[in-house]
Order: sequence, then C-alpha cells, then structure tokens
Amino acid sequence: MGVTLSPWTLWRCFWRSLFLQAGFNTEGLQSLGLVFSLSPALLALYPDPAQRQAAFRRHLAPFNTHPYVAAAIVGGILFHELRIARGEAPPESVERFKALLMAPLAALGDGFFWLSLRPAVGALSVALVPLLGGWAVAVYLVLYNLVHLVARWRLFRAGLSMGEALVPRLKSLNVPRWGQRLRVLAAAAAGGSASWLAVKFGSHARGWLEPALDVASLAFGVFVVFLLSRKVSPYVLLYVAGALAIALGAAGVV
Amino acid sequence: MTEVGAGILISALWGGLLALERRAFLQAALSRPLPAAVGVGALLGDVTSGLMVGLVFELFHLGGASLGGAHADHETLPSVTGASLAAALGHASGSDATPAVWSLAILLCAPLGIVGRRVDTRLDARARRYLGRLVDAVDAGAVEQAARQNLRAMWPHFAFSALLCGGAVVVGGLLAPVQQALPVSLVRGLAWAYPLLATVAAAAAVHASQGEGRLRIAAVVALVVALALLGALGVRTWA
Repeated sequence: MGVTLSPWTLWRCFWRSLFLQAGFNTEGLQSLGLVFSLSPALLALYPDPAQRQAAFRRHLAPFNTHPYVAAAIVGGILFHELRIARGEAPPESVERFKALLMAPLAALGDGFFWLSLRPAVGALSVALVPLLGGWAVAVYLVLYNLVHLVARWRLFRAGLSMGEALVPRLKSLNVPRWGQRLRVLAAAAAGGSASWLAVKFGSHARGWLEPALDVASLAFGVFVVFLLSRKVSPYVLLYVAGALAIALGAAGVV
Repeated sequence: MTEVGAGILISALWGGLLALERRAFLQAALSRPLPAAVGVGALLGDVTSGLMVGLVFELFHLGGASLGGAHADHETLPSVTGASLAAALGHASGSDATPAVWSLAILLCAPLGIVGRRVDTRLDARARRYLGRLVDAVDAGAVEQAARQNLRAMWPHFAFSALLCGGAVVVGGLLAPVQQALPVSLVRGLAWAYPLLATVAAAAAVHASQGEGRLRIAAVVALVVALALLGALGVRTWA
C-alpha cells in the first residue's frame, strides 16, 4: 500500500508517449515506443530487480494502436501497474486491458483523427488560402492541434483515473458522429477549392474563352472524381492533366 | 557559406526534422504538405512557392493515412522537395518562381510520395534490430538502457529525408539554365498546367473525403463558389 507515482513521473510518461512511433517495426510494431513511454513509471514502481524485469517483459509483446489515443492506453496501463505494484491486482490484468482496448481504440482514432479531422482541417485551410494567404497555415495548425493536444492529454488522464471504465465514457462522446460531420466539411471545402482553382484557370484568358475554360476545368474535375472512383491512379491523372495543359499551351490553343 | 549552401542546409534540416515529426514525435500536422511546404518556402525566402506547391500536395494527399501497419504515400517528401526546388529554381533564375516553375516542381517531385512509402516500409523491417536489442537488454536486466532503443530507430528517417530535401535545392539550381532554354510555348503550357494539376488534386480530395453524400455536397459548394466568382469576374471582364 502507499505505492504512488509522482506528477513528474506521470508527466515524463506522457511526454515519452509522444514518441510512441519512433521505433515502429514490423515485428513488435509500437512495443519499443510503449516500453519507452512506461519506463519512468516501471522504474519508480518496482525497485526490486526481478519484479522490474518482469514488469518490462509484460510490455514486450506486439502493440499497435492509433498514436493519439494510445495516450489513454498508456494512462490505463499505469492505472493497472499501480494496482499490481500495490498487490491489488494480478499481473495479467494489465495484459487483458491492453488486448481489450488496443484494436477498438485504433479504429476510433484512425476514423476520427486520420480520416475525419485531418482531412477537414486540411481542406478548410486550403480553401482559406485565397483569403488568408500564408496565414491559412496558422489556422491549420491551431485548429488541428487544439483538438489533438487536448484530446491526447485528457485521454491520458482518463486512462490513468478510470482504467477500463474509460470505454463507456468514450462511447458517450459519440465520436463517429463527429467524424461524419467533419468528413462532410472536408468534401465541401475541397469542392470550394476545386471551384476556385477552375476559375483561376479560366482567369488567364479573356473574352468568351474565360467562362469556357472555367466550365471545362470544373467538368474535368468531375471527370477526375469519376475516374478515381473507377480506381484509376491519381498519379496517372496528375501526369495526364499536366501533359494535356502543356500540349494545349504549346499548340497555342490557350 | 554561399547562398546555395545555406539553402541546401536549411532544406535538409527542415526536411529531416519534419520526417521525425511525421514519424516519430508528436504528429502535430507540421509535416502535412501545406505547413511543411510553406515553412520551407519561408525559410528559403519564397513563401508563395511554398503555398502554391503545398496546397496542391495537401489536396492530393488529403485522404492518405497509415492504417494498421500499412503506410500511405509519403506526403511530406514531395511537398518539401517541391517547394525547395521551386524556390531554388526561382532564385537561380533571378526572379520569383512562376506557375510554370510550380508545375515543374510538382511533376518532378510527386513520385517521391511513392518512394517515401517504400523506404518507410524498408526502415520498418530494419527497425526490428532495435526490438531485438531491447529484448536482450531486458533479459540481461539492463532495463534503464533498454528503452532508449526506441529513439535510435528514428534517425534513418531523418537522414533519408534530409538527403532528398537538400538535394532538391541542388536540382533546382541545376534546372535554371534548362528552364531558361525552354521554348516559350512549352513554358506557357507549363504555366497552364498548374491550375489543372491543382484541379486534379482537389478532385482527389473530394474523392478521398469519405463523407456521406460527398459528391453532392462538393458539387453544390463548387457551383455556388463558381457562380459567385464568375459574377465578380464577369463585371470586370464584360463591362
């Protein structure tokens, strides 16, 4: 009883969890990063060399999840390791916890952060370039990291204080619904950007050619979306578009 | 140190550090195409090139994400090399980079996304050696040193990215006389290519956004924006 972790040790674990992917490899996946994150706490909790070695061994198994939501798992592991060190829980409890949460949290993090928040903020920032110029980058970084960093810290705290009870708390946040809204925002911002670019394309011409090029460029964008849905490589389309414009320009058509 | 030497060093350091941010530490979107390209553009004294190259690659790679253990195309490498190449080409030509230069930079650097993904996969396999050292260290009871193996695995990513980004400045300088010797019609064609390349990237972004009814939403917004812009332009053009 009385075993605890100092705020400094907890902060070090959180800080090191930001390096979770540094040692990503095809065998242990993020296990190097996980051991690196937990190391300050395991060293503090287990002064006995044999117990310390056993604690490190518990976390050598392959581990893989989304790097942001991993903060919740790191926090939850510390919750369990504290209980193990106090003799309140068996060592297997922490392995069960990892196995239980790793995949669902990976899916949650991938769906929300990688496939919703990042595209939405990226597309919105690009759409703001005509209005803000280089300042659109500041909007990008502030908007994205406001969500990202707050989420990482709060997930770490939640894992540390709740352990498995974190799961119903996360469910109540209805993250997939927020993800869906952000994906709609990404589509709208990308559509707006496509339109701006089409008009920019036409604005090089004068007279009747200007609206004709705007419409042709927009139609080309729609055609590209169609071809992408038919699994045509975006790289192929990029080079075809480049070749087309160069040929038209070289032929004096535009 | 010469101006070119400083440019190589700056681009290499920026590219290397962003490779660490993207892969190993934080993942705070600094290495996404728009911030990465604008950053190197600002450092090399050509923010506009960074912005114009970065926005195309941002849209082009909008839906890219490493899921599970599978990597997406590397979005940072083409962005930083593209902006560095455009800025260096502009400086070497003695003028600001033009849409023709941006197109050239995009077309030359886009395949580095695929190269970067393949190198990432190779380095993942190489990083198994650090896991082996961790296991050995834990078995030997040297747990304090064991965890540090994590940090050793990230430096090859730094080196690879720094090499390519520094190299882009060199290539930009070498391309200046070639670009100046191009026929005017070809340069005009390259200039026209820029908005069309960006349109392809925007279409790729719409396709990748995965939102329910994404095509309908994108089409409506595109139409509204086009009508608003054309209305404004129409007053100017046909008055």
